[in-house]
Amino acid sequence: MSASQNKSSRNLRAWVALVLLVNGFFPAVWILFTSLKTETELTQTPITWWPHAPTLANYTQAFTQQPLLHFIGNSLEIAIGSALLTLVAATGAAYAIARLKLKGRGLILTGLIAVAMFPPVTLLVPLFETMRALHLLNTVLALMLPYAVMSLPVATLLLVSFFKDMPQELEDAALLDGCSRLGALWRVMLPLAAPAVFTAGILAFVNAWDEFLLAQALNAAPDHRTLPVGILFYQGEFTFPWPVISAALVVAIVPLALLIVLFQERVTGGLMAGGLKG
Amino acid sequence: MTTTTRARPPSATLSTPRTVARPRKLRALNDQLLGWLLLLPAVLLLALAVVYPVARLLHDSLFDIQLSGAAPVRFIGLQNYQDLLADIDARRAAGNTLLITLITVPLSLLAGLLMALGANLNWRRRWPIRLALLLPWALPMAFSGMIFAWFFNSDHGVVNDLLQRLQLPTVRFLLSPFWAPLCVCLATIWKTSSFVALILLAGLQTIPRELHEAAEIDGASRWNRFWHITLPLLKPSIVVALIFRTVSALQTFDIPYAMTQGGPGHATQTLAMLINTTAVDYLNVGYGSALAVLLFAVSLGISALYLRHVYQEAQ
Amino acid sequence: MFGVAHFFSVDKQGQQPGMRTAAARVALACLLISAAHSAHAAPAPITLKLFVGGSAQRPDLLRHVLDDYERSHPGIKVELGAGGATSELQRRYLSTLLNAEDSTYDGFMIDIVNPAQYAAAGWIAPLERYVGSDAASALKNHLPAYRQADVWRGQLVALPAFSDAMFMYYRKDLLARYGIATPQTWPQLAAAAQKIQRAEGQPQLQGLSIQGAPIEGAVCTFLLPYWSAGHALTDAQGRLTLDVPSAQRGLQQWLDLVGQGVIKPGVAEVKTGDTLNDFKAGKAIFAVNWGFAWNALQNAPDSQVKGKVGVMALPAVPGGERVSCMGGWQWALSAFSRHKAETAAVLRYLAAPETSRYLALNGSLLPVYSSLYQDPQILAQLPWLRDAAQVLQSARARPVTPRYGEVSDVLRMTTSAVLGGSQTPADGVAEIQNHLQRVLR
Repeated sequence: MSASQNKSSRNLRAWVALVLLVNGFFPAVWILFTSLKTETELTQTPITWWPHAPTLANYTQAFTQQPLLHFIGNSLEIAIGSALLTLVAATGAAYAIARLKLKGRGLILTGLIAVAMFPPVTLLVPLFETMRALHLLNTVLALMLPYAVMSLPVATLLLVSFFKDMPQELEDAALLDGCSRLGALWRVMLPLAAPAVFTAGILAFVNAWDEFLLAQALNAAPDHRTLPVGILFYQGEFTFPWPVISAALVVAIVPLALLIVLFQERVTGGLMAGGLKG
Repeated sequence: MTTTTRARPPSATLSTPRTVARPRKLRALNDQLLGWLLLLPAVLLLALAVVYPVARLLHDSLFDIQLSGAAPVRFIGLQNYQDLLADIDARRAAGNTLLITLITVPLSLLAGLLMALGANLNWRRRWPIRLALLLPWALPMAFSGMIFAWFFNSDHGVVNDLLQRLQLPTVRFLLSPFWAPLCVCLATIWKTSSFVALILLAGLQTIPRELHEAAEIDGASRWNRFWHITLPLLKPSIVVALIFRTVSALQTFDIPYAMTQGGPGHATQTLAMLINTTAVDYLNVGYGSALAVLLFAVSLGISALYLRHVYQEAQ
Repeated sequence: MFGVAHFFSVDKQGQQPGMRTAAARVALACLLISAAHSAHAAPAPITLKLFVGGSAQRPDLLRHVLDDYERSHPGIKVELGAGGATSELQRRYLSTLLNAEDSTYDGFMIDIVNPAQYAAAGWIAPLERYVGSDAASALKNHLPAYRQADVWRGQLVALPAFSDAMFMYYRKDLLARYGIATPQTWPQLAAAAQKIQRAEGQPQLQGLSIQGAPIEGAVCTFLLPYWSAGHALTDAQGRLTLDVPSAQRGLQQWLDLVGQGVIKPGVAEVKTGDTLNDFKAGKAIFAVNWGFAWNALQNAPDSQVKGKVGVMALPAVPGGERVSCMGGWQWALSAFSRHKAETAAVLRYLAAPETSRYLALNGSLLPVYSSLYQDPQILAQLPWLRDAAQVLQSARARPVTPRYGEVSDVLRMTTSAVLGGSQTPADGVAEIQNHLQRVLR
């Protein structure tokens, strides 16, 4: 019985892996192939999958037509900054709501989440006015602050749900051992919530990395353009050069993806090793 | 829940009674103070970036502000909201938004759950699976929409190419009022299920492995273990994913905007797109604000519903 | 905070005179300031900022022009800024800025369909005072369509920067091979295209490529046969004058061409760039496209049709006239600029015949002055302008109305839906009429 079960389970795993990989990689691989094609090849029918005559010319163009590395740098700076801001604000708020017996905490949580629930597209003009009043237009903060707000609800809620489920005894033990509340949060609760904190961080990071509307309105100066805004500058009034844009997307995605994967591996690995045994 | 105590360090079990003996009042007061202190950064952020914009939006929604000069600016009370009820464009957009929400939320949740379960298996190499989970996310939203529009293109699209290779009839997906919304939904599910998967994966990772091992020893089937252990413990994460997936579905904008521009006809125009069109293209700021407030109210109502549910469970 | 913002907006839309006196006060203040400055030894240089779009508007060439200007006007520095590569992205960006009454930019380059909208919103200032003449005389040497497009309520609100229009591109070699004269009407074009398609026998070869995706180009796709039938969408007062049968016939004409296999069935997904790419790859006999396409067809390294391209006026509907749809870009003066007079002077320089000539010679941007289409040097360098001149003379402006956003939206969405087969021409035109009746009154 166990042999056949093992075999079917191995088959199942192979299918799971295949579906996950195709689902995740197909569009990215398609972009990669496109970045190696010429514009002429793209207009062929029937379409080609594998590039006929692979060329790196699109990559040269991606780097020479626009300051691509600069865009990536801007996006990284803003995304990391806003993710950190989000984490600071969300961790504090989540701990307060989940672990401290605050009066009306349900209301606070709902309020926190509600206020940030306006569709960003409707807030463009007033946000622009706010940032102008603060003299933040065309600075990294003009985007970091609204992005942090954008991710605050999801990060807070995620952390609340984690903090709530943590055994009270762990924290009490830390308090007994002479830790202050903050010390307990920092030394006991946070390491235990590492996967949640990390996930919240990634969520905030990618939210910021993805965002287009605010980035276009609040940071339009060429020096401050983020990646989504910058990449659209490869197009002309009427033309959309997929090969060059694909090349730019590949350049933008590859290092980011590697970074996230390596980082995640370390954090979750650390958790498995230390967290739950402590 | 009872099994959680197994993972509990022994010292903690011993200490519980003594904690209760401490001066409660002082500690409660300190907790209140500390609580507000910890809330401060979040409150400051919100005050900075949300309070004025939202107040301005509420304010504008009570005025007739048409920058096209069709009428002078004046206070009209709730007239904009009244107009909403009779507006067929708004109703159609609301219907489309509802359809997208009803299709994409359950399906992206399901897809995300399966992806998270798959990724949480004990893989020899974890990184390819993790990368597969994250890649849809690293692709900016606007570009995901464009790429899917390209996939579904009648003449240059991958989907029709595949259909042709399989000797099946091709379809003009994005030109058909039936297929176009479904294509938008598919792209949305693809893009958002990795968000769900990420949240659920974090939840899965905190479920102690001992629980599963114990259950396996007791002879519980794979399905039973999933149903009785994994799912209940995953519930808080599922609720978080559900809230944000629902709200983001209600606010769907980038993907249909990039894929169909709201067409064919207005078959894929969502509320957020209508708000954008009303404010940016029509310069009808007052009415656009009222639409935005409506969308906000619906988002808020739904998340309050979920949250209440969560809190009732907890108490 | 709201009080102040609101006060301004009332002043802006409600009372035109209020705005004008405010503007006059600002102008007066500027004068006083500059007078006070000139009393001192060295006047502080004024930095002006102009908004141009992406690379299509050639900021590189404009920079050269402005360098010249700065040399001859030592007190003035001009910077160029950008906010998006397409007309739509630029409009989005500007609408955020201008809704917030922002003074970052002193002047903008805007799409030909926008001046009325921006003027009605109080975002751009009338130019007569600075140009020193009224709209009619300021635009008397320009192509005729500008006398509608750049005038709002009798006032000059924008200056033409460079021009564009819809042209009919065709394969000279294929027409010659089969001894076909250039078609004068759409049925003739259909017949010519079908003859060539049959003879060439390539299923890939499209007879005609037009734009059917719900983009701005689809507005022209709707208007071209409608205009050609001798009708206008609005009268001089901007009221709707839709002729329902002609509008239906216009849309039906495109559907017939699809039915005959001249236009490809997926036309409702075709954007301007697709038309260009298909024609460039030798996959279309005729193509309706903007003037920018010429350069790409003749000069792009991957063009399969170099030297095989002809350009002509668009055909007419039977018994109708040959018309085109005007495009191109305008300079406008920000209503929130703190240096209106100085900016207006720069804009006049940028809109002058010499600049238009320079942009034509160096960037192939179509001139805005009628006389430049006889300029020997320009014709030597851009011989196709000989054929283009007549097209630009007959090109019409899309409806000039502050509610153009709504007009464009309903026209493009409906046209695309009809071409995609999800709506009949009759239903489509009924929807257009329904919407526009409310908008264009």
